[in-house]
Amino acid sequence: MTKYLSKQLSDRDPHYKEAKILRERVLLTGNQAIARGFWEAGGVVASSYPGSPTVEIMESLMDYAEINAQWAMNEKVALEIAIGGSFAGARSLASMKHVGINIAADPFMTFTQIRTNGGFVLVVGDDPGLSSSQNEQDSRFFAQFANCALLEPSNAQEAKDYVGVGLKISEEYGMPVILRLTSTLCHSRGVVELKERTAPAEASFVPDQARYCMLPPYANAQQYFMRERVIKLASEAASLDLDIYEDTGRRDALLITSGLPYQYLKELETGLSIYKLGLCYPLPIAKLKELAAAYSRVIIIEELMPFIEVQLLAAGMAVGGKEYFSFTGELTTDRIKEGLEKAGLLAQEAAAATSAPAVVKRSPMLCAGCPHRPVFHILQKAKALVVGDIGCYSLGILEPFEVLKTNLSMGASLGIIQGMAMAHQTANKVQPLVSVIGDGTFFHSGLSGFADIAKTKHNITVIVLDNRTTAMTGGQPTPTTGELGTQTHTVSIADVLKSFGITDVTVADQFDYSSTKTVILGAMKREGLSLVIVTRPCALNFRIKEPHFYVDREVCISCRACIGVNCPPISMQVYEGQSKKNSYINPEMCVGCSVCSQVCPVKAIKRSVARGEE
Amino acid sequence: MTTNILIAGVGGQGLVLTTRVIGTVAFSSGFDVKTSDVIGLSQRGGMIWGSVRFGSDVHSPLIPMGQGDFLLGLEELEALRWVALMKPASTVVLSQETIFPNRVLIEKEPYPTDIPSTLAAAGLRVVSVDARSVAQRLGNLRLANTVLLGVLSTYLPFPAATWLQVLEDNVPKHTVELNHAAFQAGASVA
Repeated sequence: MTKYLSKQLSDRDPHYKEAKILRERVLLTGNQAIARGFWEAGGVVASSYPGSPTVEIMESLMDYAEINAQWAMNEKVALEIAIGGSFAGARSLASMKHVGINIAADPFMTFTQIRTNGGFVLVVGDDPGLSSSQNEQDSRFFAQFANCALLEPSNAQEAKDYVGVGLKISEEYGMPVILRLTSTLCHSRGVVELKERTAPAEASFVPDQARYCMLPPYANAQQYFMRERVIKLASEAASLDLDIYEDTGRRDALLITSGLPYQYLKELETGLSIYKLGLCYPLPIAKLKELAAAYSRVIIIEELMPFIEVQLLAAGMAVGGKEYFSFTGELTTDRIKEGLEKAGLLAQEAAAATSAPAVVKRSPMLCAGCPHRPVFHILQKAKALVVGDIGCYSLGILEPFEVLKTNLSMGASLGIIQGMAMAHQTANKVQPLVSVIGDGTFFHSGLSGFADIAKTKHNITVIVLDNRTTAMTGGQPTPTTGELGTQTHTVSIADVLKSFGITDVTVADQFDYSSTKTVILGAMKREGLSLVIVTRPCALNFRIKEPHFYVDREVCISCRACIGVNCPPISMQVYEGQSKKNSYINPEMCVGCSVCSQVCPVKAIKRSVARGEE
Repeated sequence: MTTNILIAGVGGQGLVLTTRVIGTVAFSSGFDVKTSDVIGLSQRGGMIWGSVRFGSDVHSPLIPMGQGDFLLGLEELEALRWVALMKPASTVVLSQETIFPNRVLIEKEPYPTDIPSTLAAAGLRVVSVDARSVAQRLGNLRLANTVLLGVLSTYLPFPAATWLQVLEDNVPKHTVELNHAAFQAGASVA
């Protein structure tokens, strides 16, 4: 057993961050390790937009006093903040989830042409298996697309170390470096050895238009520069000493892998030789060709798309991979075993008789007291055609509401609803259209959509669900958080929209069910753009807890109207001494929003204590 | 030799802290450790799970099928979900807690009856604990997980002092005494 004799500190203990103790070993998540690695490497400027699985990177970075770290309004701005830091000579980092890189792609694809000044690392969290994402894109392709290096750590220690390696590559080769994580790596803890911080170099921006102004003719020359730096890095990759070659002496197959699949593979103890890549773009092709010559077969084990495999095939190597391993989901130990059996490299085990019982699914649902609930209930009853957007309110897709009919990407509802209205107009179809968008998404990428839709003549109702926070990712502040958080200044969404020339703007309190219903139905009747802003804050994030409600079962007629609002504390139960079911509200879970009591037709749902009397 | 603990529960039950505590105790006791938590969309009342693996040299943070040694069920249905991950005759520390999933709330499916018996019939050793009542007696329902940790601790090779220290490092300062009491209560239930 490996003994770690040094003093152990928990990852929440602020003392470990001071790193006064050399060679300290702690348990860190992949995300925390990234933050620590940036701190150790003398990182100065960092920015991010919250998105699972990388949220915790920024939260951890903010704990380090020496790092200038802040949330940005979206991933493009986050990237641009880090670019500015790098231009001015500071080691800089931007972190985001995989789809965030799409938002940031515009500045990134041009920034990559510039010979990097301060080391620049873009940390991206992919989500194989889509545990909390709208797509499963393999972001490794961005490295090839952008002619830059891509590092892929396989555990928390490597996640920490690769930040420093990435910054060094970035400065030596003049390129941004992508550090690619996956959900499980971000959220899993492993033992990490800590080091002291390297003092950052004093630097500031040195004007050099040929370097920093990307227009012809300056940008033309950079095409050659990008090509050359990638070729140079590929030829020198071995000197980085990142790869691990485990030669077991067996020559029937060489397994080439990277990232977490390496750890899953190790678990199997196959006895086969393994080559684990740390740098996945550019690949050390010459080295791999030389090694491969000694083996009968070369099999690539990689999650999602055949990124490594296709590069090796293009280099003329005879390799296999995706015919044995899935192109979607995580490649866990069990799935790698299955693939190796299919490839004939592991003896097929008799499938264990897994008689696992079918267990009722548990989908996520809106929290008790969620301010989105009455809005979805009203829209469901109105049989409205609703275009969705990204946030907690995406849960309006699920049963029993099933209100949102489309869900695509941040802020997309505003363009989509216009396009639908245009198509309907041409087809002579008359139907009011509704979309919903939260405050986080409003500022992330809704503003340009609103400026665009402001003068529409179509019957469009947009409901802004202003719950004053980016709720889905854990409650990061938005410009409307204001006094509910630590800021005093609050941006008014109504004022912003009015300044766009939108005149039909109504602010409503959605916990007043009937008046909100009147407002929404009225808006749906009016031609042109109608804006409804509902203003109740997120019950979870702001820990809202009012006296709970209860069901007076003498009054309850078991109509299930309250079940229809779909709140976690409300279920149908057989009370003692009764035969039929009545509704029941779990008093510990109820936060007293009152919506169920307002939809009850017989007033059977009552507040336990009147407000102000508790 | 790696020991595998799966923690199963419902979003909002405090599973991430529970996973962190077990992982830190194992690490502080001299083992190599990997843990994992599902974080994200599922936090909104969905199914969540975490894993702690400890031993001399642990690679994957995830537990392969059929390799679970201990299952800490914060909620009965969620424990039932993971039967296939467990070794035959492995131990389930099960909270007598039921939280209806959405399909049950809207009466599309029933909540399974007598889950402890189903788990036992699947060959698991079930330690069913009324953690909620113990926590309630101590004055705070949120202590239920710490009670369960106390029960689990009696099956694991870590000193009680390490558990108490790690709890102290990881819970809010004003709740340290209560958490210690909850842990001791759990340890003596077993």
